[in-house]
Amino acid sequence: MLKRINKFEYFAPSTLAEAISLLAEYKGKAKLYAGGTDVLVQMKQRKITPEYIIDIKNVPELNGITYSPEGELRIGALVTHRQFAISKNVPEKFTMLKEASLAVGSVQTRNRGTIVGNICTSSPAADTPPALLALDAGLKLVSSTGERTVKICDFFTGPFKNILKDTEILTEILIPDLPENSGGIYLWHSKITEEDETLVGVGVVVSVDNLQNKVCKQARIGLGSVAPAPMRAVKTEDFLKGKILDEDTIGQAAEIAANESLPRSRAEYRKEMVKVQTKRALSQALKRIEG
Amino acid sequence: MDNKINIKVNINGDDYSLEVEPNTLLLDLLRNKLGLTGTKLACGTGECGACTVIMDGLTVNSCLVLAAEVDGKNITTIEGLSKNGELHPLQESFIEEGAVQCGFCTPGMILSSKALLDKNPNPTDEEIKIAISGNLCRCTGYKKILKAIRSAAQKMAC
Ligand SMILES: Cc1cc2nc3c(=O)[nH]c(=O)nc-3n(C[C@H](O)[C@H](O)[C@H](O)COP(=O)(O)OP(=O)(O)OC[C@H]3O[C@@H](n4cnc5c(N)ncnc54)[C@H](O)[C@@H]3O)c2cc1C
Ligand code: FES
Ligand code: FES
Repeated sequence: MLKRINKFEYFAPSTLAEAISLLAEYKGKAKLYAGGTDVLVQMKQRKITPEYIIDIKNVPELNGITYSPEGELRIGALVTHRQFAISKNVPEKFTMLKEASLAVGSVQTRNRGTIVGNICTSSPAADTPPALLALDAGLKLVSSTGERTVKICDFFTGPFKNILKDTEILTEILIPDLPENSGGIYLWHSKITEEDETLVGVGVVVSVDNLQNKVCKQARIGLGSVAPAPMRAVKTEDFLKGKILDEDTIGQAAEIAANESLPRSRAEYRKEMVKVQTKRALSQALKRIEG
Repeated sequence: MDNKINIKVNINGDDYSLEVEPNTLLLDLLRNKLGLTGTKLACGTGECGACTVIMDGLTVNSCLVLAAEVDGKNITTIEGLSKNGELHPLQESFIEEGAVQCGFCTPGMILSSKALLDKNPNPTDEEIKIAISGNLCRCTGYKKILKAIRSAAQKMAC
């Protein structure tokens, strides 16, 4: 491991407008920098050698977690895993995202690393994307020429790849309100190494008509580390719609999820674990609706 | 291209005005420029916690922090723990309980423990384990470290 990093010019803009114009000016040669837990590791590995680093931590517009009266949760780009996990502004129905943030690294990494940085690195094994996929999060992308909001299910395009242009900043995550009678959970387990990289991560949100009949109105399932990019298990979601969520149905859904996952390495084991974790996640999400 | 950056930073209670290169890491600033060699370099990639320091109350791995970023911050390194020649209760307990062998992980381990006890003076074993989960020790087997942290918490409560 190289311990040194290349020379670069360092900017710490204090407004979003300034950050965006720097990004436009040094297009392709600049790297946005938040907690640096991915950027600095990649620089040490010489995977990237940016000429300019744009540290966005002094941009106030990118701070904060807010919950709107309409039930939408907004998470600014600078919110760290730690800030999110201990935030009192996050209603209980979004606890699964706290679980995902707490799955990231150790205390030191969570104190620095941001949820938005986790999304933008777009590692297939990242912990927050499966939860955010299940929560159907929107992502606001802003550049000098305008802004757009995309759904996270349209964001990832491959291992460490996404649709972000080199002039765009992801300014905030927007999580829509959940329907009544919904429950969600994020479950994962990891390789035991010094990094404890996630081997399989499953985020689930299920909504039922009512607690008596347990008829599934909608299910969203995000899978991590079992495909080239974080993915939605859409076949499983379609299967669950309209079904009574009994043990049998959940078991079948878990099989479908395993079949639609696309792991490359340790494929057999990972598929088996998708089955196990999806089954657990669906049962536990259901329990959470019951409270 | 390389623009020098002026920073003002408080380290262990002392104010410093420094000029740093953009690609200087906080770890290198502490060790090479300021001679605070209690902060250790091992993996260099955020995995082992040997380089842990406390920045504005939170532990960070100084191998993954740019010196340029610490402008206006308060930093505590292991050198900042003893006061007037008196060891911090955590340092005492680590010695008493035999929680130090080669000592390479110790500064980081103690700083992670301090950050925990500063916020949570009476932690459970589970909370202690989470707090030090980013600090790897190759020698002690962790049991004595856990014992030392528990014992320090008790001392500090009195
Ligand atoms: C030891 C260690 C263990 C780890 N363990 C885990 C783990 O268990 N699970 C896990 O998921 N991750 C893990 N990580 C990865 C990492 O901590 C996360 O991905 C982190 O959330 C990244 O956030 P950051 O703020 O540090 O990002 P940075 O490193 O600052 O940036 C990451 C990427 O996002 C881009 N970026 C940042 N902010 C924006 C923005 N607003 N708009 C557009 N682009 C942006 C950067 O240019 C860069 O490409 C680990 C890392 C380390 C070092
Ligand atoms: S040297 Fe910084 S975490 Fe290992
Ligand atoms: S005492 Fe040697 S690594 Fe912990």
